[in-house]
Amino acid sequence: MELLSYLRRYSLFALLAVGVFVTSCDDDDEPEPENLPEVITDVTLIFTNNADASDIVTASAVDPDGEGVQELQILGGIVLDVDKTYTLTYAIFNNLETPGEDIGEEILEEDDEHQLFFSFSEGAFVSPTGNGNIDNASDPINYNDADDDGNPVGLSTTWTTSSSAVTGTFTARLQHQPDVKTATSGATDGDTDFDLTFTLEIK
Amino acid sequence: MKQVLFIFILLAVSASSKAQNQDDCNYELKGIILDVDTKEALPYVQILVKGTQNFLLTELDGSFHFKGLCDTSNVLVISCLGYCDTTCQSYHLNSDKPYIYLKEEINDLEEVTITAERTREEGTVSIAQQIIGKEALSANLTQTLASAIADVEGVTFTSVGNNVQLPVIHGLYGNRVLILNNGIKHGFQNWGSDHAPEIDVSSANRVTVLKGAAGVRYGPEALGGAIVIESDPLYLKEPFQAKVGTGYQTNGRGYFVNAEAGQGLENWSYHLGANYTRIGDKFAPDYSLTNTGKEEISVNGGFRYRWNKWNLKAYYSYLGQDLGLLRSSVVSSGTAIVRAINSDEPVIIRDFSYDINEPNQLVQHHFGKIEADWQYADDAKLTLRLGSQLNQRDEFDVRRNADLPIIDLDLITNDLQIDWEHPEWMQLNGLIGLEVFTQNNDNNPGTQTSPFIPNYNTFRFSTYVIESLKSNKSTFELGIRLDYEYNNVRGREPNQDVFRDEYRFMNFTSSLGYILNISDDHTFRTNLATAWRTPNMAELFSFGQHGFKTSFGLLRYYTDENENGALRTDRVTALGESDVVPEKGYKWINEWRTKKQSNTYTLTAYTNYIENFIFDRPIAVIGTIRGPMPVFIYDQADALFIGGDFSWQRQWSNVIDGTLGMSYLWSRNIRKNEALINQPPIMIDYHLGWKIPAFRGLTSSQLSIKPSYTFQQFQAPRTVSPEKLIDGLVIITPESEIFDFKDAPEGFFLLDVAWRIKSERFDAGLSIQNVLNTRYRNYLNEMRYFADEPGINFLFNINYLFNSKSS
Repeated sequence: MELLSYLRRYSLFALLAVGVFVTSCDDDDEPEPENLPEVITDVTLIFTNNADASDIVTASAVDPDGEGVQELQILGGIVLDVDKTYTLTYAIFNNLETPGEDIGEEILEEDDEHQLFFSFSEGAFVSPTGNGNIDNASDPINYNDADDDGNPVGLSTTWTTSSSAVTGTFTARLQHQPDVKTATSGATDGDTDFDLTFTLEIK
Repeated sequence: MKQVLFIFILLAVSASSKAQNQDDCNYELKGIILDVDTKEALPYVQILVKGTQNFLLTELDGSFHFKGLCDTSNVLVISCLGYCDTTCQSYHLNSDKPYIYLKEEINDLEEVTITAERTREEGTVSIAQQIIGKEALSANLTQTLASAIADVEGVTFTSVGNNVQLPVIHGLYGNRVLILNNGIKHGFQNWGSDHAPEIDVSSANRVTVLKGAAGVRYGPEALGGAIVIESDPLYLKEPFQAKVGTGYQTNGRGYFVNAEAGQGLENWSYHLGANYTRIGDKFAPDYSLTNTGKEEISVNGGFRYRWNKWNLKAYYSYLGQDLGLLRSSVVSSGTAIVRAINSDEPVIIRDFSYDINEPNQLVQHHFGKIEADWQYADDAKLTLRLGSQLNQRDEFDVRRNADLPIIDLDLITNDLQIDWEHPEWMQLNGLIGLEVFTQNNDNNPGTQTSPFIPNYNTFRFSTYVIESLKSNKSTFELGIRLDYEYNNVRGREPNQDVFRDEYRFMNFTSSLGYILNISDDHTFRTNLATAWRTPNMAELFSFGQHGFKTSFGLLRYYTDENENGALRTDRVTALGESDVVPEKGYKWINEWRTKKQSNTYTLTAYTNYIENFIFDRPIAVIGTIRGPMPVFIYDQADALFIGGDFSWQRQWSNVIDGTLGMSYLWSRNIRKNEALINQPPIMIDYHLGWKIPAFRGLTSSQLSIKPSYTFQQFQAPRTVSPEKLIDGLVIITPESEIFDFKDAPEGFFLLDVAWRIKSERFDAGLSIQNVLNTRYRNYLNEMRYFADEPGINFLFNINYLFNSKSS
């Protein structure tokens, strides 16, 4: 490889001799590190019993390598008691960064561009009734929050379980809807930030 | 061969146009033969009207005057003082400026028909090639470079919407087709299918499409061919000339204005040009294609100074673009892909607007060149060329931080070329060259995403020799080239850890060509060339989502043997430790051209074998937080391309001519014995032109009709719908056969009509594209998954010409 390095040096010399090449050929800078507010690696659904704040049920989904090919891991299912009312909130993080970045805060800041939609096994809840609003945005969901335009967000929702045992699924989908979100926009408008399906057991 | 002579011919053709009885031999042909540079008259040049006994010598002022010609179109054979025999087809009748510029090296040709042939660059003389002139280029200044040259048989374009179009030569595109702008390789983000060359059609005076591998002359990446763009030739002693033009198109309500001016004085000349284009959302027959507008501004200027045998040329151009991409093409989740692909109409349709929102691409390209040549003998020239380019690219995506670019790159490209056209030596004529090429790519911070492309520096040193030997009717051409390339790469992992790599390649390229001029009417060319290409940065290092694809470069994934060969992307492999090797191509191309009376046939047949061909293919559907996503990886295989282009030109009458064009390509991944994706389908078209004689002050008028049919791509990979993948009905592994998400679109018939008129100072055109408002999708357009192609379009344009003196 002597020859090659010689060639390289020789031609660099030629470049200098011409004196037109203003940029250095040997800069060695790496790209600046970026913070990645886009990436979500961990989503936890937190069901808190309205009657007992210490009764908390959680279910999480983790994609440890973010955009990498590693499969999404659904950690546990949602197990709720019959005949109880829960408030559903979230912990949404990007844990590729250390310390992890709270994406939930960011969604709250941009709540006029986001909305959560749900689907669940028919009859799992007495309120809301039905099977959720992913298939039809006007179906009932008990949103506890609204953006400045008065449209629901869904970072807090209320759920009253049925009086009989149910086994099924529960899906939460966060849609990012910049300039798209209206009173009637639905679960297929805008782009998906997360779309997670858990097993649901009410007993 | 003692001398190279440059000639400049001015033909003033005057037929007794009032009495146009074609049976009478009463046509006349006048012209002047001048040196192309000095404009000095060349006396005693023998001119023969081909196929007749009619010949004469030019007068002392270089002029000649034929009388009693029987045909409206004549071929002149010009023998200049025994040094050259050249032929040019005279433009008869109504063309207002029958200037014919020839700057020929006599040894390169025996016969030139100006409509088809000109000087060929050393190293390419045996390669099938086709030229697109200024007139054809300026017929539609709203179009991209790629669509401007797509009329050439065997050439088409692959696109992402109507604004981002890349030329395809014989099935290859991107890094496998070299784009040479004013002698310098166009330095841009040449990866993926969504980065088109930032060259404004209005800045080009002439575009040559080389269909064979031209790697020896132009360097790596010319595996599949090359596109050579030249700006104004900057002739001396030309009167001041200026042109302003404007145009409007109904589809997209687009408009453009452009202006150019130039002048050649005793020892110096200049040419300036500027163009502005704006197009809004285009319309498919049934709906608006939301966010498909573009805005483009370009300026260019050339300057030449001549001092004795020295020529100094400087050229600068700038292009700024804002290109919209179809809004409905951005999908962030598996369910959205299913919906977008299965929907008959795009998922998002809004009212017409000129606004360009995300997704879009903002690009600025600065190009500067200085060239000095020293013609120290009649057949020897030394040329020094320096090029410097800055390409700034910002791409915006629909995402939470949509106001921040998701890709923000600055690419600086520098070129130094020295070539020496040596004097004849042992019957050999040739070119010896040295090139130094450097590129420096930097990510600008603030994208809030891991860089898709790393920072890198490329350094390449090349040297080549091309020699040709002419004996009797045969010309042999042999070329060899040595390239040494060094790359230094710095990137970021998704967790923002730094990775680095350094790698080198050295490669020989060679080319062997042969031309046989069987007779004046039959020519055979054959060229066998090798070429190579290093994998580009996207092929090696891409990671994650870009557009609607999530893809992983060759060095970004590996299979974990401890886990049953599962795919892993958690580390970057150094190139030296990987099994990634450069592509090597072997292209053999033959061209047979024959003329029988008023018919001209050109048949091109080729085969191209590419070892270690790099392509991307779907690999799996992976569960993500956003739902299941199809994932693509880059892979290497061996690919074989066999095809042919055919054209038949016939002069049906004095005023009507027709050209039939056909192209066919068979291609296959022969390592895995499966189809290749995104290969051009069979195409056939016919161009019928009718020259309408002068009337009402118009010097000429021409009507043309072009029907074309594009077949369905019958070699497309199998179809696996995304919902089948997501539902797990079809399992894809790294060993699975290649597939596509949607069937190749059906074949389609298009009809285009154009009418151009010319008068002394004005020329104007009306063209109607897709006259039948056909609903169709193009297999080579990535947007075929989401939307139809644009419908009918009326395009008007008008130019006004200023001359300091009429000639």
